[in-house]
Amino acid sequence: MKSPVFAYAAPNTVAEACSLLADDEDAKLLAGGQSLVPLLALRLAAPTTLVDLRLVPALTGITHDQGVLRLGAMTTHRSIERSPLVQDVAPAIAEAAALIAHPQVRTRGTIGGAVAHADAAAEWPAVLLAMDGHVEVTGTGGSRSISAGDLFMGPFMTSLEPDEVITSVSLPIDGREIWVDEHQRRHGDYGLSILAMTYQLSDGLITDVRLAVAGATGSVTRAPEAEAALEGRAPADSNDAITALAAELSYTSDIHGSADYRRDITTTLFQRALRAAGERSGQA
Amino acid sequence: MTQPAEHVSVQVEVNGRRYQRSVMARLTLSDFLRDELGLTGTKVGCEHGVCGACTILIDDEPARSCLMLTVQADGKKIRTVESLASGREMSPLQACFQKHHALQCGFCTAGFLMSATALLEEGQPTREDIVETLSGHYCRCTGYSPIIDAVEEAAAKEPS
Repeated sequence: MKSPVFAYAAPNTVAEACSLLADDEDAKLLAGGQSLVPLLALRLAAPTTLVDLRLVPALTGITHDQGVLRLGAMTTHRSIERSPLVQDVAPAIAEAAALIAHPQVRTRGTIGGAVAHADAAAEWPAVLLAMDGHVEVTGTGGSRSISAGDLFMGPFMTSLEPDEVITSVSLPIDGREIWVDEHQRRHGDYGLSILAMTYQLSDGLITDVRLAVAGATGSVTRAPEAEAALEGRAPADSNDAITALAAELSYTSDIHGSADYRRDITTTLFQRALRAAGERSGQA
Repeated sequence: MTQPAEHVSVQVEVNGRRYQRSVMARLTLSDFLRDELGLTGTKVGCEHGVCGACTILIDDEPARSCLMLTVQADGKKIRTVESLASGREMSPLQACFQKHHALQCGFCTAGFLMSATALLEEGQPTREDIVETLSGHYCRCTGYSPIIDAVEEAAAKEPS
């Protein structure tokens, strides 16, 4: 349970981090280390160089400007959970952060690290997909923005180039409703299913739905058929969407739960989201 | 330009004392505390972040010392279970653990004490807050209730 030997560097700038990554094809970035350090201990990862981002000053902080909540890549889950700004402009995001693992892990784990790690059973990828979030990345060739839909390629796989560093995560705050929920066998475990949904509510009808599921299917994925079946419907008139969500995803079986169990849980999470939508439309 | 190296120099403050060491970059903070500094109160259980036995405070926030490389703590203030008692006199939290039989084998206790210390320093926790914070720790002896009772009594005594 000891990590293999690696060389370590802690650059002061993003540009330097990018060139360190470019210099060694087996280099890996270290953010909070809450996923990477156990992977090293279990020897599931054996990078030759670790490039630690802790000394790059520009990577932390939370801002809200022109309808975009921007979270520096090295911002911890705990800081997001406790940020008065996040609690004010998008309380569902602060609550989603609190679903991640335990407080002792959230104090160190970062949103940029979690997004780059792209665990199929993690919360942030589902939140990004449902919100149509973006990541800002910088590589040796320059900077670009990648939408969540173009970022997550599969479990633990992203479209990031080997020399690219995620510098921030941007979430649109545009008045759309946000809902994030999950079921865990024990508090703090990985979710057996994680559901994130955003939508508009007008005249009691749901429109412009984006629905993402993680933890249940082996990857983080949207559910286009359920989204289409919900479009223009009242929250109480959603049986077609519930049926579609159960049918369109291939749920996985493992020691933590069968595919049928995960389908049932996902259905229940979806029903809870719809019930909340019904309550929200009643208040409107 | 920063050159990658297998050995790194770290400077940390542990329980009020400053240390400077050259260590392997791969050395976890838990191994550093135990093997380099001889502070064996911090226990290493699962070594991959699940059990919570190795929890310490970094700049007053609880964290798993097995999930940190020593070098990540460079320049930071660390507190371990050794910081709680004054001489042979237990801290109020430790005394509550004893009173409520909140430990049996004691392997997990240092971790529980450090998470509870951070929680009590933040203010007056509810029983629900205590359960949420302690959910990040495994105890295979007590069944948890005595631990929660101990922290609850310590919270009630906390002058705040």
